Amino acid sequence: MTAPREVVIVGGGHNGLVAACLLARAGLKPLVLERRGVVGGGCVTEEAGEGFRIPTLSHAAGPMLPWLAQELALQKHGLEALRPPMRLFAPSPSGGPGVRIHEDPAGTVSDLKAISAKDAGRYAEFHRTFMKLGAFLRPTLSMTPPSLEAPGASEIWSLLKIGRAFRALGRKDAYRLLRWGPMAVADLAAEWFESDLLRAAVAARGIHGSFAGPWSAGTSVPLLMQAALDGWAIAPAATFRGGVGSLTRALAEAARAAGAEIRTGAPVVRVTTAGMKVAGVALESGEEIPARTVVSCADPRTTFLELFDPADLEPGFLLKMRNYRAPGVVAKVNYALSGLPAFHGAAGAPELLSGRIHVGPGVDALERAFDASKYGTFSPNPCLDIAIPTVADPSLAPRGAHVMSVVAQYAPYRLRQGDWDSRRSELAAAVERTIEQHAPGFSSLVVQRQVITPAELESEFGYAGGHIHHGEQSLDQLFTMRPILGFARYRGPLEGLYLCGAGTHPGGGITGGPGANAAREILKDRRRPASR
Amino acid sequence: MAASYDVIVIGAGHNGLTHAAYLARAGKKVIVLERRHLVGGAAVTEEIFPGFTFSVASYVVSLLRPEIIRELDLPRHGLEMLPLDGTFTPMPGGDYLWRVNDHARTRREIARHSRRDAEAYDEYGKAMVEMARFVKPILAMTPFDPARPGLKGIRDLMFLLRRFQRLPEQDKYNQIQLMTMSAVDFLDQWFETDVLKATMSASGIIGTFLGVRSPGTAYVLLHHYMGEIDGAFRSWGFARGGTGAISNAIASAAREAGVEVRVSAPVARILTGNGRARGVVLDNGDELLAPVVSSCVDPRLTFLKMIGERHLDGEFVEEIRRYKFRGSSGKVNLALDALPDFRSLPGPGRHLRGAISISPGVDYMERAYDEAKYGRYSSRPYIDIVIPSLTDPGVAPPGKHVMSCFVQYAPYHLKEGTWDEQREAFGDTVVDTIAEHAPNLKQIILHRQVLTPLDLEREFGLSEGNIFQGELSLEQLFFLRPAPGWAQYRTPIANLYMCGSATHPGGGIMGAPGRNAALVLLADFKRGRVRT
Repeated sequence: MTAPREVVIVGGGHNGLVAACLLARAGLKPLVLERRGVVGGGCVTEEAGEGFRIPTLSHAAGPMLPWLAQELALQKHGLEALRPPMRLFAPSPSGGPGVRIHEDPAGTVSDLKAISAKDAGRYAEFHRTFMKLGAFLRPTLSMTPPSLEAPGASEIWSLLKIGRAFRALGRKDAYRLLRWGPMAVADLAAEWFESDLLRAAVAARGIHGSFAGPWSAGTSVPLLMQAALDGWAIAPAATFRGGVGSLTRALAEAARAAGAEIRTGAPVVRVTTAGMKVAGVALESGEEIPARTVVSCADPRTTFLELFDPADLEPGFLLKMRNYRAPGVVAKVNYALSGLPAFHGAAGAPELLSGRIHVGPGVDALERAFDASKYGTFSPNPCLDIAIPTVADPSLAPRGAHVMSVVAQYAPYRLRQGDWDSRRSELAAAVERTIEQHAPGFSSLVVQRQVITPAELESEFGYAGGHIHHGEQSLDQLFTMRPILGFARYRGPLEGLYLCGAGTHPGGGITGGPGANAAREILKDRRRPASR
Repeated sequence: MAASYDVIVIGAGHNGLTHAAYLARAGKKVIVLERRHLVGGAAVTEEIFPGFTFSVASYVVSLLRPEIIRELDLPRHGLEMLPLDGTFTPMPGGDYLWRVNDHARTRREIARHSRRDAEAYDEYGKAMVEMARFVKPILAMTPFDPARPGLKGIRDLMFLLRRFQRLPEQDKYNQIQLMTMSAVDFLDQWFETDVLKATMSASGIIGTFLGVRSPGTAYVLLHHYMGEIDGAFRSWGFARGGTGAISNAIASAAREAGVEVRVSAPVARILTGNGRARGVVLDNGDELLAPVVSSCVDPRLTFLKMIGERHLDGEFVEEIRRYKFRGSSGKVNLALDALPDFRSLPGPGRHLRGAISISPGVDYMERAYDEAKYGRYSSRPYIDIVIPSLTDPGVAPPGKHVMSCFVQYAPYHLKEGTWDEQREAFGDTVVDTIAEHAPNLKQIILHRQVLTPLDLEREFGLSEGNIFQGELSLEQLFFLRPAPGWAQYRTPIANLYMCGSATHPGGGIMGAPGRNAALVLLADFKRGRVRT
């Protein structure tokens, strides 16, 4: 038998690769095992034939945690960040200018005047408030959630620091934070704005990927988390030259350069154990790789309910894992297009389409789209989160042609009637009809179409339940409760087992947060082996 | 005119009366002013039709604080509690679920639906009692101000944290889930029987504008278990003579302590001078002066109507405007010639003596909510029925009965039409819904009273018909109730206090807000904070 590896990382998603980079730089020579033929997980750009390159799943970066981006210095591996001038454009179904959120707040204010003078007047404070709350929350993203059992001195210290920063926010903003945390995003949006389309554009961030509608409590949290990342309440449009997949390609290169080994087409089927310790992993091929440390970048349900022999885990722990909620609600539709779609309100201004495009005309429309999923069917009028990466980076398609990436919500993983194989084209038709309503003539531009149903998000990309965030980011599954209370510190229930995926704090999105935090904890344990 | 009272209490609801009683027992001279011709607020018994007396609005008791019963010696003042024996849930297919206070019987009944659930029901009950034990002291706490906690606030916060920390791991997990999850998500972890989950989850949505799948609704499941640990009486019950008998008992205790209670004395304005409350003006122009005014009516009425915006800081006004009411329920009171005969369990059995819950399935409950979200009353609502004349025959002529139907959802804000136009159609919907389960109902109705949310507002002074004086959603609880920074029963107007359900710990016939506020006010008197 070969000598055990120091570290094996299960899954080459961006978090797995971030962890690999940081562990390799500490001299650990980690081995990354990726099931698919390419690394990147949900953050990949893939060829779709005839010169089209599409963002298969994610179409924007979180963005990466600023300190992490700096530390990894991925520009050395050819990564070039693109920051389109538009953050978000929401076409109005009835024509008109739509909602135009620019990266430059002054541009947004001036454009909002066309739809509501009042909202234009409120926007600057809205923007400022999230910048301020974001700055306060930012340190928590890079923090290991404290142990509630026996908080260490350094944890108490960092909590006290947070307490002081909280007081420094001032009464008004401190209370905003407390009130907004558990609030429905529809209420938050209504506190600021009167235009239904703008409210919907704001609310969209709160429900992205969640089994929740804008009227569900707790849907303001994603806005606060986005603010923690980059100071915004609105979905990011950050990407990279060559597509979002350039990020994971650069991460993989950086990891290799630091001494990591990466194998693709190597699906892990089992984490092996010896007593109360991990012993290694077994691949689908039958190959066994012994390892002292196994780091799972797979989601918690897959990790504990699929990769482990149930006899190796405590029944109480398993029960909680079964109750970990990961009901996926999105499908992905990607298009190769012969030209740029003509969205209402964006005629002759292609730069308006450079960021994200939100389709969902009002808060009630989003809520109705959600209603369908509660009864096990997909919405006939889904809300769509669209990106056309070729606007900012024409190299992704042949000259004059475009690629378009659509996250369609709600499409529940569990259907009451039929299955996703039989209803795929029905879903695609609903998506296309909805786009057509906002961009007449769209269908005639379609060269090629790819539909990824929630069932395929599970079978092809390994997301249990098809959940793109590795599990609901609801109040009961955040921070010290992510994935479950007592196991939020990146350590699994067995010695040598760690989690580094979006099912740990700070959750989903292309941020690198979970990978970086997990790597830090792994290294900490190696320095102080007795502490485990 | 010299002040002839120490404190004027506005509103003789059960909280106002409790508040007054505690103040008078501490030697204060107190007058309570009630708009209507009788005391009790929403906890009143009235003879609506000759010979038939109804608990017009609030109809069951669950949470009346045992310390209040004890300290005010309410049994001596005529309070007599009658147990409400279980919950009967008829199902459309001809089956039913009937849970009773007899433990073994309930187990057998649940086992008829699912053996697994019968096992889980015991475990669930035990876990909930533990949770209730944890939450109980919070009810009697004055919330601290997190933006300016002070020493006492920090002490209270530490007390809560330590208590939480000392909970066994499993209880911590349960507690967090209860505080944040939806009732259905929470119950899904325990049970598989749809009707059991539906009927249990119903208690989580009563009086709120939330559905059984809305996060934040699990918490109220605890309320059913509070009574058990109090040991004073069964978890749900009636008062002999109707709910008004509770108010009357408290009023009697208050009067004995020297409180003057004046009915038919509607307050028009609160008099202020130098930023201090100094008395009230009645509708008829009479002025009553006192150094302290305590308002038991909701903040909208207190501040926007009785004080007036011009006397208040703009930001505070904004907070009061933002405070959400969103009444969602109505009430139908029926005088019956005979007993209803349920198709699934015919005859006049014991099942009619408890609550009869029209909550046949989780989807049924959720669909009822969905309609309300878009501004319509539920076409098939959730209905909680009691027939008090079976346990308390004095409320109806011999052989006849009174039936009280609490109905949800009936949104205060209708998208089309007005409640005055839709009142009778709404009443018909309720009767039709019940008649699907008890077909003889239509033939035995002698009289019918339909109370829409608009009627609750007009009749009982509950803004937007919210029975709890404001939504019990997470962002309006504890230190956020009713407004950030003003959760200590004090207000921005010196010497003006709040003591109603719009303060912590909220609505229900609990009495805790009235008592807590009295303790705060008495402490302020003692420390000379009340300048007379």
